[in-house]
Amino acid sequence: MRCNFCEDYQDRGPNMKKAGPILQVTGLSKNFGTLRALSNISFELAGGKILGLVGDNGAGRSTLLRILSGGLQPSGGQIYLEGKATRFKSPADAMKKGIAITYQFSQLVDIAKVWENFFMGRELTKRIGPLAFLDVQKMKHLAAGAIAKYGHTFDVEREARELSGGQRRLLAISRAIQANPKIFLMDEPTHGLSKRVINEIFDLLRKTKEASDTSIIITAQWYEQVCDFVDEVIVLRRGEVVGHFDAESADGGQVFKLAMGLTP
Amino acid sequence: MKSARYLFGAVRAKSMEYYTWLLFIGIYLATGLFVPTLFIPATFLNVLVQGTTVGLLSIGMAFVMLVGEIDLSVVAVASFAPMAGILAWEIGLPVPAAILLTLLVGVGVGLFNGLLITKLRIPSLVQTCAMWWMLAGIVLVATRGMAKAGLPNSWMQLGRVFIGPIPLLVFFFIIVVSAAVIFARRTVTGRRLYLVGGNSEACSAMGIPVDRIRIIAFMTSGLFSALAGYALSARMGFVSARFAVEWLMPAIAAPVIAGLSLTGGRGNLINVVAGAYLVQLIVIVVRAGGVSGYSYEFVQGLLVFIAILVDTVRRRVTGL
Repeated sequence: MRCNFCEDYQDRGPNMKKAGPILQVTGLSKNFGTLRALSNISFELAGGKILGLVGDNGAGRSTLLRILSGGLQPSGGQIYLEGKATRFKSPADAMKKGIAITYQFSQLVDIAKVWENFFMGRELTKRIGPLAFLDVQKMKHLAAGAIAKYGHTFDVEREARELSGGQRRLLAISRAIQANPKIFLMDEPTHGLSKRVINEIFDLLRKTKEASDTSIIITAQWYEQVCDFVDEVIVLRRGEVVGHFDAESADGGQVFKLAMGLTP
Repeated sequence: MKSARYLFGAVRAKSMEYYTWLLFIGIYLATGLFVPTLFIPATFLNVLVQGTTVGLLSIGMAFVMLVGEIDLSVVAVASFAPMAGILAWEIGLPVPAAILLTLLVGVGVGLFNGLLITKLRIPSLVQTCAMWWMLAGIVLVATRGMAKAGLPNSWMQLGRVFIGPIPLLVFFFIIVVSAAVIFARRTVTGRRLYLVGGNSEACSAMGIPVDRIRIIAFMTSGLFSALAGYALSARMGFVSARFAVEWLMPAIAAPVIAGLSLTGGRGNLINVVAGAYLVQLIVIVVRAGGVSGYSYEFVQGLLVFIAILVDTVRRRVTGL
């Protein structure tokens, strides 16, 4: 995977939109000791769709995302990826199967450079005889190109800690997109960012979705944070699905009441 | 104006990158004024040769420091591994195979340390301390406390052969250290050592096998400890339970002087070599400078302390 990054990227063109559900979750549950964090979660995600997971603190949004990205193992239930029953044994395993995730707190190595962060876990190499060495020039070049494509110009030689909050989030997101995932999970991407940066990120994601068949799952505490963006929304409360709407029929007030447990 | 400031910053950063070498050369020249023998070529070669032991140990230590760990077993490996090689030679193994075995024993100890530290989550300080104690004890049993001399000639060639005026050991050291620098800088695994040391959680989220990287760091440390032990035995002509013990503190001090962060993720191996030579220089100067035998350890420790202090202040001031 590591060495054919470019070819990989060009492989998946805009004409590859698929019809069937890319992800199917049935009866998923997760217990931490006696605490039931998720119970009987079922939903489907179609290719190229954006699903919002909305719920208050403790609703189970992050737990669900961690299971889907291999960070946690479910206590029960099934996950089907492109119709096949799948278990994500580790984050590395999930990545290999085409899942990318960004967390609320960007998973960056602060004291490493931007380009190193951009390519961590899937570094590019060139062979010299029997040995493989890092292709540093190519990585810098491609990282700078990707960041420029998303309308930013920060220097890839800077360390990640020198970036602003918005730049850090953008770096984490563009890194995930560059891996060209089948499903892109985003844990509260809007948290703590200005309206301008949030719009920028959503624009970027829309463009990505148009250019490939990537499906996106995005979590938020409030529906308003993601209502302009998602195709459908699932409302979680105390580890259970309490509502499932498509964007046209979803109503902010109703979602709010469901998420807070107020009778609609 | 802004770009001028940026340029100035870049130049300053570059000249500071190899600060440890400037420090070493500066101190060498300065102490040479008081200990003129330092300017005799033979003394200079002597510094070069003697520094290889602490140099190899420090490079090994640097690898585990990059991932934010520590390896106290390095000096025990440096006597245990060549001891194993020599014992195997005595029961009939040819010398090249015995040398290879020495290195494999070092790597094996590192693997064992790494497995216990990552899989059982034993702190590296505790695990490698126990390993140090055990291996030193085993060597003591095997030698009954005596130095093991009478090593085969071909074993000792590394320490005895000269190319022109320069001992083979110096070339060997340069090659091995270059390999280590290239490994750390230019390979995927090498860069990942830095990333894991910087933020291991982020690394595992991005699919980097963090445990494997940590284990590789300990295996590298074991390999370099074994190399140090082999080179030292080839130079001295014997192996004993305690013959590298005095180099543990220098092997920890050298990477620190070279600016390696003890929490991991930062540092330049080329500077570690300068740090090692700086410590070696201090040791030699203290002996040559007529300090009484009883005060060696104190004066050496004091000077290393000052070097670390200077470096810390420098980093505070320059922010690098």
